[in-house]
Amino acid sequence: MDAQDIKIKASNVQVHYGDTHAVKDVTVRITDNTVTAFIGPSGCGKSTFLRCLNRMNDTIQTCRVKGEILLDGEDIYDKRVDPVQLRAKVGMVFQKPNPFPKSIYDNVAYGPRIHGMFNHKSELDDIVEKALRRAAIWAEVKDRLAAPGTSLSGGQQQRLCIARAVATEPEVLLMDEPCSALDPIATAQVEELIDELRQRFSVVIVTHSMQQAARVSQKTAFFHLGELVEFGETGQIFTNPEDPRTESYITGRIG
Amino acid sequence: MEEQHIASAFDRDLEAIQARIMKMGGLVEAAIVDAARALETSDEDLALEVRARDQVIDDMEEQINVEAARLIAIRSPAASDLRLVLSVMKIAANLERIGDYAKNMAKRTVVLAQGPSVQDCTSALRRMAREVERMLKDALDAYIQRDVALAADIIVRDRDVDQMYNALFRQLLTFMMEDPRNITPCMHLHFIAKNTERMGDHVTSIAEQVIYLVTGEKPDEARIKGDVTSTTIQEI
Repeated sequence: MDAQDIKIKASNVQVHYGDTHAVKDVTVRITDNTVTAFIGPSGCGKSTFLRCLNRMNDTIQTCRVKGEILLDGEDIYDKRVDPVQLRAKVGMVFQKPNPFPKSIYDNVAYGPRIHGMFNHKSELDDIVEKALRRAAIWAEVKDRLAAPGTSLSGGQQQRLCIARAVATEPEVLLMDEPCSALDPIATAQVEELIDELRQRFSVVIVTHSMQQAARVSQKTAFFHLGELVEFGETGQIFTNPEDPRTESYITGRIG
Repeated sequence: MEEQHIASAFDRDLEAIQARIMKMGGLVEAAIVDAARALETSDEDLALEVRARDQVIDDMEEQINVEAARLIAIRSPAASDLRLVLSVMKIAANLERIGDYAKNMAKRTVVLAQGPSVQDCTSALRRMAREVERMLKDALDAYIQRDVALAADIIVRDRDVDQMYNALFRQLLTFMMEDPRNITPCMHLHFIAKNTERMGDHVTSIAEQVIYLVTGEKPDEARIKGDVTSTTIQEI
């Protein structure tokens, strides 16, 4: 087997915000069990495109999405698809840690509760513990699960949000600048976690840190002015990119 | 890349390290020329000078490596910048080795000057050294001009150097068979010839670095080896 199955197949995706053409004809294949990094300057459309992958853009009135996005061959913009169910499969972690104003336990239990993923309280306990362990924060919080999520440090809050995202057993995890508010130690912990999550999920990460993209991803996509300029193996993109615009960007030149 | 980095200090660092390589290259070129001239004219003073100057070349390699390590640590170079830093380190190592061979030639020149001279071998050796020196000059030009065609040409020209070595090898073997008293000087001359041939290989490696730097790929065509002496048998 060519090792990796296609998890998400996006074809000719166009996104408009009112008159702004934010994403221009992007076609990309996201493989399973792979970390795919989206890089590019601010306003290049990478976050907008990421948000298309679990229909987060639906909530924005002026936003129009065209083209086709298939998750395991199924069109996620099909009318029969329930966005809430979709987001259980395609989880998301945001730039700023945003725990709910609830206990640590309830933050993680929130998703499984809405999706009715358990029959007994003990099952839910197991789900919460497993998610917190996967997010590498269990040891730090196991004795204070009833404490508010907001009482944790920034790095812990972010890992709590990751635990919350993985608790619903998603198949794809979208991360929009997950480390931008974290210190280097917490960043390293989250990166280590991303690498572990790859065993089970397909991870797509938007990052402004090119070193982070180089460190955590196997595939890298470079966006510029709404276009997908180059998509390829991370090692190749960072040693010998094909497009001069990619080269200019990753070497820190004026493009 | 003609565009400038947003961090202009990065550009200055990259320029500085390349300037150092060019300066080191200039010293190595001079070492080859002077070592060959000292050999041909049995000029012991010049040979001693070449030996002394090798220390400067070694120190430069060290400086370049320190500078390259600092650049990697501070700038995290990527893509063509990364290839530039890697090529600088590799080329510095090649130049250092060529410098060593020139120094060795000078060392043997001092020994050879004590004994009887062997006919016209030294001028053939000087021609060979001059060709290697020209190749080195072109390789450094190709480097600074990012000239892939010139670099590819150097790789081909190394075959001529290999041919010169083959011819010298046979000639020296003949001299040694004619008169055993020739063996000592001919052994030294043979090492000089072999070392000069090795210099050509290091120049070729520099040319390959130029191609890697510019294209991101190693030259694909396997090099045709011109040195056949490792399988030569002389009938007595």
